[in-house]
Amino acid sequence: MKKKKSDSLLGMAFFGPALVLLTIFLFLPMVLTLVFSFTDFFALNPSLTHFTGLENYFQIFKDEDFRQAFFNTVQFVIIIVPLQGLGALGLAMLINKVSHCKKYFKVAFFVPVVMSLAVVSTLWIQIYSPEGILNAILGVFGVSAQPFINSASQALPSIAIMSVWQGVGYQMIIFLGGIQAINPALYEAAEMDHATPWQKFRDITLPELKPLCVFVFITITIGAFRMLVQPMVMTGGGPSHSTYTVVYDIYETGTVNWEIGLASTMAIVFAFFVMILTVIQTVLTRDKEENHGNKKAKKK
Amino acid sequence: MSYVELKNVCKKYKGNDKNSVTDFNLQIEEKEFIAFVGPSGCGKSTTLRMIAGFEDITSGELLIGNNRMNETAPADRGISMVFQNYALYPHMTVEKNISYGLKNMKVPTDEIKKKVDWAVQILGLEEYRYRKPKNLSGGQRQRVALGRAIVKNQKLFLMDEPLSNLDAKLRVSMRNEISKLHRSLGSTTIYVTHDQVEAMTMADRIVIMKDGVVQQVGKPMDLYEHPVNKFVAGFIGSPQMNFYDVTIKGNDMVFMDGKAFRLPDSVGERLKGREHVIMGIRGEDIKFDSSNLDIYADGRQKAVIDNTEIMGNENNLYFEFGGIASVARVSKYEVSQVGDEVEFVFMPHKMHFFDVETEQAIV
Amino acid sequence: MVTKKQRRNNWILTVVLLIVSLFFLFPVIWMLANSFKPDAAITADMNSLRAFVPPALNGSFLDNYISVITNTSFIKYMCNTLCYAVILIVLGVVVNGLAGYALAKIRFPFRERWLMIIMLLMIVPMETIITIHFLIIAKLGLLNTIIGYILPMVVNPFNIFLFRQVFVSLPDDVYEAAQLDHCGPLKYFFTMVLPMSKSVVATVSVFTFLNVWNDYLWPSLVFTSGDLLTAQIGLNAITSNENTTTGQTLAVITMVTIPVIIIYSFFSKQIVEGVVSTGSKEG
Repeated sequence: MKKKKSDSLLGMAFFGPALVLLTIFLFLPMVLTLVFSFTDFFALNPSLTHFTGLENYFQIFKDEDFRQAFFNTVQFVIIIVPLQGLGALGLAMLINKVSHCKKYFKVAFFVPVVMSLAVVSTLWIQIYSPEGILNAILGVFGVSAQPFINSASQALPSIAIMSVWQGVGYQMIIFLGGIQAINPALYEAAEMDHATPWQKFRDITLPELKPLCVFVFITITIGAFRMLVQPMVMTGGGPSHSTYTVVYDIYETGTVNWEIGLASTMAIVFAFFVMILTVIQTVLTRDKEENHGNKKAKKK
Repeated sequence: MSYVELKNVCKKYKGNDKNSVTDFNLQIEEKEFIAFVGPSGCGKSTTLRMIAGFEDITSGELLIGNNRMNETAPADRGISMVFQNYALYPHMTVEKNISYGLKNMKVPTDEIKKKVDWAVQILGLEEYRYRKPKNLSGGQRQRVALGRAIVKNQKLFLMDEPLSNLDAKLRVSMRNEISKLHRSLGSTTIYVTHDQVEAMTMADRIVIMKDGVVQQVGKPMDLYEHPVNKFVAGFIGSPQMNFYDVTIKGNDMVFMDGKAFRLPDSVGERLKGREHVIMGIRGEDIKFDSSNLDIYADGRQKAVIDNTEIMGNENNLYFEFGGIASVARVSKYEVSQVGDEVEFVFMPHKMHFFDVETEQAIV
Repeated sequence: MVTKKQRRNNWILTVVLLIVSLFFLFPVIWMLANSFKPDAAITADMNSLRAFVPPALNGSFLDNYISVITNTSFIKYMCNTLCYAVILIVLGVVVNGLAGYALAKIRFPFRERWLMIIMLLMIVPMETIITIHFLIIAKLGLLNTIIGYILPMVVNPFNIFLFRQVFVSLPDDVYEAAQLDHCGPLKYFFTMVLPMSKSVVATVSVFTFLNVWNDYLWPSLVFTSGDLLTAQIGLNAITSNENTTTGQTLAVITMVTIPVIIIYSFFSKQIVEGVVSTGSKEG
């Protein structure tokens, strides 16, 4: 009995510092965000705060900027997710195959990952500049100069491609870890069964990587939803709001306009989307295990 | 005066309805080497860990040096312990491992050095002094664990299956070393093992446990010669004692397949009034040599050898008798082949008898 | 067995991948090469392969770097960031490590429940609560202070979880042996648990460093002026200045990138382990 009691105390003492900080900087902000989302809290004049019920929620969906931001964010997701996900998988498979310079390839594709968003954005402002190196390279192939981030139609895809360039190495390493964890005996057995390379990929690599794929695609999606620093540094959300994103809107509404109530509502809506994605991920991965169980049950 | 005393010690884990250790009573004298032995899950390690203070005592009392220790922290019980998996500090050298406890006890540096020198020397670890555990063999790690225990000069040593991770040959030599160490240090030792050979060869007294209950406490030879129940009789000794369900008719003992054996009067006397008993006899008490066959001529039995184990110094012969697979242990000069029909006798005075219901010995 | 055909295919694959990697890395190569050039040379080289080659080693080779170092406080910003990173690594390892150890090894009330909560917290997008962080820090009067910057960044659910996963497989008997050696729980944590788990400590430290070094949003909010700025914020201030030349911009971003490349080359094993562990926790 005595030991149990001292264990409880010790546990709380060890967990305590983290718990205090978690409470102040995670639980409290989460609760406050939820509470503020039902008010018109204006940080520069807190005394005028009223409870406004669901009004914020109606307002943000009527708000032209927020709808634009939401639409832009979805566009970012649609461009980034397949490019980065399939790119990472492809690179991982190729790097796994080559017998020379393996280490160099792993480093080369990972370098942009460790560079900061601010650095990458600043660098690509130069790359994308009308007289910049990218236009010079395209000129060699006979393509006329493009405006890239200076045009409302090209800015978003330009930033999206830059994001893929920066992020793809991260997921590549995850896939490489997954591929290397596949039991080589499976491939040897397939070899015995005269499987073609395509069959090996379809029947061994893909099924074995499926849980990892779900995880990677969901994290890329969440990452794309969180797009903020790149447009902030490169375009300021422009030209004409073409690269304005949801998180950018939350950030500006909160820390530039100080409309905390409205920003909190957006944050709640945003968090809701991220949570739905996470739930989808868990369902997808769990589904697979259940199917496995069913197959086994049927065999019996 | 006993040094360690356990009074009605019980252990019950939360969520279990049965006790893991029930009414453990034992008095351990100073300088004694006690072995706790039994099959896995019998509660021997739990009891040791209660003595060490790593498990709470559910009820009962633990005295060390006449002081109640139930609530005392492990470090203050005056014990040192050798763990089954060595539990060495992996990032520290041999020397640091051994001296760590002394440092924490604020022992002066020169004294620590003296003690470490001594421990390293008697354990033969001089050349490994600055190595880390991962660069040592199993036997060397075991020595470091021993060294860590002996430098602290504690009066009570606890050892939890210390040799179970070593190979057979190393185990024999470590057995000897631990025995010698125990004698030269003069400390009290409690040694937990599932290996009855270790218990028999090292301990002054053995505590045999089963299902959390002490079966018998005694000197090794007492347990071997006078087991109090069928479990002890079967657990101690290798090969295992042969057991036969028999029916007693007067002085005749009838085996399951109808074969009968005439018991001497003195033995028959013990079994008066019983019909069914279990007869146990050790392999070395089944005799094949002509002089014994002559002496117990009317008890001669026949069987066909179905397997042999040639050990070199002695041989084990396997055969079926009375419907039971049996084994006899014979000298290296008594060679039989598989398929041979042999004649043998049971030594009537070496037979053990157990009650069919309680499995307690009939004395 | 590797057949001749397979070997030839492998070579082709390697060459293809090499070309792909060069295209992939062209922005980085261009950045490095042109950070040593005056703007006139950058423009002049733009239409030839010289765009990817550093200029000849002459007197003006380091001009961009020298002007950044002498005309701005950029070195100071880098030193600031380094200090913050060191403080946050130490605090982060201690606070998250202790919590991870408690969740792994100490039986205290609602332990399993807490572990669940920590895992759920890992998915909270920080951007959504950063405004509230700002309000809290402002309320505490800690805006534009080091403490105000550091406090919200110490605790990290992901690091707690990472520590917990490693500590849970530490052997219990070592703790028992240490108890008999008069080693208390706190001492055990610092002299045994952390040294026995060097690899995860390194992983967490490296990730903390990269996090602090590359963070943009939080320091841009909490530091309103002057001396305390981090490298990323300083970078933005310098590069968005009208008078900064392209060459100087490239020199600045190269300078910010050098430390992370150094860290990466020394700790690539830990980084890869950390990255892979984010994948395997779901797999």
